[in-house]
Amino acid sequence: MSRSSSNNILDRPLGRVGGRSTDTTFVSLSAFAYIYSELVQYHQSRAASVSELERRLESAGYGVGLKVLEMTAYRTKEMKREIRLMSILHFVSSSVWKSLFGRSADSLERSIDHADEYMIIDYEPIASTFVSVPTDLGQLSADAYVSGIIAGVLDGAGFAARVTAHNVKLEEGERQGGGSGSGGGAGGNAVPGIPPRKNKAVFLVKFSPEVLSRDAALER
Amino acid sequence: MSSKMQASQAGQALWSKMPKANAELFALTYGSLVTELVRDYEDPIEVNAQLDRIGHSIGVRCVDELLSKADVAGMGLATQCQNLRDTAEVVAKVGFKMFLGVQAEVGGFSQDQRSFSIYLQDNPLATFVELPAAGDEQYNGDDLRKLKYSNLYCGVIRGALEQVNLKVECNIVRDTLKGDEVNEIRVELKEVLADGAGDDYKEE
Repeated sequence: MSRSSSNNILDRPLGRVGGRSTDTTFVSLSAFAYIYSELVQYHQSRAASVSELERRLESAGYGVGLKVLEMTAYRTKEMKREIRLMSILHFVSSSVWKSLFGRSADSLERSIDHADEYMIIDYEPIASTFVSVPTDLGQLSADAYVSGIIAGVLDGAGFAARVTAHNVKLEEGERQGGGSGSGGGAGGNAVPGIPPRKNKAVFLVKFSPEVLSRDAALER
Repeated sequence: MSSKMQASQAGQALWSKMPKANAELFALTYGSLVTELVRDYEDPIEVNAQLDRIGHSIGVRCVDELLSKADVAGMGLATQCQNLRDTAEVVAKVGFKMFLGVQAEVGGFSQDQRSFSIYLQDNPLATFVELPAAGDEQYNGDDLRKLKYSNLYCGVIRGALEQVNLKVECNIVRDTLKGDEVNEIRVELKEVLADGAGDDYKEE
């Protein structure tokens, strides 16, 4: 991508229409981790509590989410706009996930207890690859930034939702054959040399009531 | 001397082994950090200083990663850097390549061999970025022209070289975001520090 020929950002190609992953440009995971670590540290120095830190990370991701939505939508061949609840969730957990993390989310589940809640599950969330949360920060999820991105995408598409990130301990025998840890780079960001993860990231998506009633109306 | 060839080969070899992340996610994440800084500090000069500080904190750590990974791969870069010319080659051809996957060039050595430039065609930090035009009042264009968006690099180079006892000063002198043809980072050697491990660490 040569930038010297044109100084106007709108004249530049948007890159890979159709989302062929071979054209994706990469930087090293380390470089991303350094930047992300500085982002967290910066917000940590200005946040008084764990929940405020998470909120700050979410709002940092929110703006990214709005842009990611636009970019991903332009790049899909159909240029289709998702209007149904389930399709936007699929869009997030597959298209958006693929374009950002190089693979789909591990699963998308509907909450049993609450009809307005959905969960997107990722076993190897990129943001917390090298993160170990000290005990005094307790429940902090370093993936709050990603939940902000999801919220930005959903909100931008007209599905107002509150998205939060949670660390959930892996259960015995969960995730078999997933090849975590030393399983090679097939998953996009499985890093050799670091121990397998004990937690998975659960992104809890809680839609606003008006989104649900609108979707129910479309059902008829 | 064949260090030119070696450095770019070493950079390529290390890059191919690095786990990867999407460059767009990287650029957007950096963007959200910079926008936050601009919101918090308002004064672009202060933002530049903060970016330099943040870069420094990255630099002191990533030099470790570079040297240890090069060592594991049997490249022995630490002994290869006999003078500033060699060091410059390693920063540009190994450092930038290994972490960002882009090729940087070295040139413009001063007469006394104490300063040089790193040229960067593609700047992964600045994908999607456009600075408001000069005179753009709505977006505070005049003021934001003073922002050195990619000032992080200066901090990184300064921090990394500081760890190998080279005190340098870095400056972005040309920037594609401001209409220049290439990104140019000027690096000037100020002082070769005495060996860092003080008396405290010496064996009795």
